[in-house]
Amino acid sequence: MTKTKNITNSVDTAKRSSKGKSLARTKARSGWVFISPFLIGFFLIYLPMIVESLQFSFHKIKIMGGGGYQLIPVGWENYEYALFKDTQFVKTLAGSIGQLIFNVPAIVVFSLFVAVLLNQKMRGRAIFRAVFFIPVIVSTGIIEWIDLQDKMAENAGEMNGGAGAGISASTGGAEETGNGLISMMDVRNLFGNMAVGTELVDYVVDIVNEVYNIVNKSGVQMLIFLSGLQSISPAIYESCQMDGATGWETFWKITFPMISPMILVNAVYTVIDSFTSQDNQMMSFIKTIYEGPDGTVRATAMAWIYFLVVILVLLVVAAIMGGYVFYQRRDT
Amino acid sequence: MDLSSMTKKEIRALEKQQKKEAAIRRIKSQDKLPFWTLFRYKYLTPYYAGKLGIAIFRFVLLFGLSFVILYPYISKIFFSFMGREDFVDVRVLLIAKYPTLDTYKAILNDNQYFQALMNSSVLSLMCAVIQTATCTLVGYGFAKFNFRFKKILFVLVIFTMIVPHDTIQLSLFMKFRYFDIWGLGGTIANLFGGEWTGLNLLNSNWPLAILSFTCLAFKNGLFIYIMRQYFNGVPDELEEAAYVDGAGVYKTFMKVIIPMSATMMVTIFMFSFAWQWSDMFYTDLFYTGQSDILLPDIVKVPSSLDTDYAAQTAYESAARNTCGLLILAPLVILYLFTQRTLIEGVERSGITG
Repeated sequence: MTKTKNITNSVDTAKRSSKGKSLARTKARSGWVFISPFLIGFFLIYLPMIVESLQFSFHKIKIMGGGGYQLIPVGWENYEYALFKDTQFVKTLAGSIGQLIFNVPAIVVFSLFVAVLLNQKMRGRAIFRAVFFIPVIVSTGIIEWIDLQDKMAENAGEMNGGAGAGISASTGGAEETGNGLISMMDVRNLFGNMAVGTELVDYVVDIVNEVYNIVNKSGVQMLIFLSGLQSISPAIYESCQMDGATGWETFWKITFPMISPMILVNAVYTVIDSFTSQDNQMMSFIKTIYEGPDGTVRATAMAWIYFLVVILVLLVVAAIMGGYVFYQRRDT
Repeated sequence: MDLSSMTKKEIRALEKQQKKEAAIRRIKSQDKLPFWTLFRYKYLTPYYAGKLGIAIFRFVLLFGLSFVILYPYISKIFFSFMGREDFVDVRVLLIAKYPTLDTYKAILNDNQYFQALMNSSVLSLMCAVIQTATCTLVGYGFAKFNFRFKKILFVLVIFTMIVPHDTIQLSLFMKFRYFDIWGLGGTIANLFGGEWTGLNLLNSNWPLAILSFTCLAFKNGLFIYIMRQYFNGVPDELEEAAYVDGAGVYKTFMKVIIPMSATMMVTIFMFSFAWQWSDMFYTDLFYTGQSDILLPDIVKVPSSLDTDYAAQTAYESAARNTCGLLILAPLVILYLFTQRTLIEGVERSGITG
């Protein structure tokens, strides 16, 4: 019995391998066709651009009268300028990393929390979801840019001693972006009575301060979590309920481990997003350098340093979180 | 039943029982329960009270957060209808005392809004269509086919996502100011003894069209990633069935895969459209001239608006914000129509680690 089975098996595999190979080969060929737009783009445009950008960072650029340009090699000068001569660069870099360390946990925890809330069955869920998703669609720079202009105009007004700025503040001001929604004193009082360290108090106060930014930045993360929550089988929850687990236990023993790959994805995404978003202070700093005298190459050198830091942070985040991720074994 | 053998007490108990049963039967026979009975047994229980408490807590929390999200827009909408006297009046918080449409009129007249709207619509639509098509193709290729270097190539996709714009800003500009692939054009020109420094593609839609077509535009790495995750979740049996029926790989893709992934494609379309719509990095970089006016360019205080009044800063800021509202309005309208598909699409993508 077993022998015949073995024989048929081997015949089967032989057939499959001989036929499967050619099919696999044609499929592989069409795979190349499918990804060809990216291939063309990457090797014809992106890779030369990256290489050029590296080159530029070691050169000085001189625009010629006839429309061409000339490169003068200067070695590490641009990098030396960024690291040792520019007074702001290192400070801004450290600041933006500090901001990141502050933002990532806040955004990930907040978006997980809201995703769990929005995943429950209730009335008006569709409306809430639509509202929470608005920032992803709407606030991509323009609003922040206008706010920035307002702030600059206001600063100018204050410098001139104009009455306008004072009045705008007294009427609430048009540029109120939600920062004034919650009184800081309340939070301080609350935590002052509980005997916790001042660092924690400061962190919480900062989070409350930043609540508008955090809510606005966690749209995509929320949706990634939502899609993850939807993919957890309801049967697991049902069996938990049968065994008498409370909602709290179910969350920590089922939802959290099942969603942990998404936490890693979201942490990585948040790092990328906040590093490359337009309102990042480092990005705007590089932008101002770019527009300055001799700035294009210097800005490129700075951006390269910045990029290396981004990679480093990503590796650290992935290494720290990778150990805790639980992967569900899929049926194959 | 033998009544005589029972004591009086037992008879009374039996009667009571019968009455109870009759009452239950009566209640059950009615298809709608009397309100108070229902109320008492269903809602006045500790279980329900707990549930209600949680629901209220949840609602308040979500409502508050929605308010935080919407408040800036709400306040901007209210400010946009204010006359200049309102900014001085301390009693005016949101609702104007002297409502006026002057701000809107001035912006529509002075800031070339409709021309910018037209240009931006063409640009965003083009980018969104091309990006949706190419990212779907590439995502499908990465999800469903096995070929050599697949993993390395996918790492390259992620790589394009990680590199900050600023790193390649200068090279992007140079690339499209002196457009030339691998220096081929220059070499050919040199062969014929000519001088050629490349095509100047700035101030046209070409740079963004090329970037979109090659999946290098804004966040296209993310789109490819989303599409790949989605196609990973599509069972292989579907395609196998199509192959058995005699369809080739491309026919299967066109006839089976595209129709079933319309939701995801709408999602990608909406993302790329919205992000291109209010993008400032690429438009600043590629549109250096004054001739092509795009939506971000119209944010300024309109010249015919007389802002020289006591609260000038506040008024001018309101005018700028009204420009912002006018920019975002078409986007919001589009979002209202597509939000259901959009959210469904993202939820269904089943993005996993």
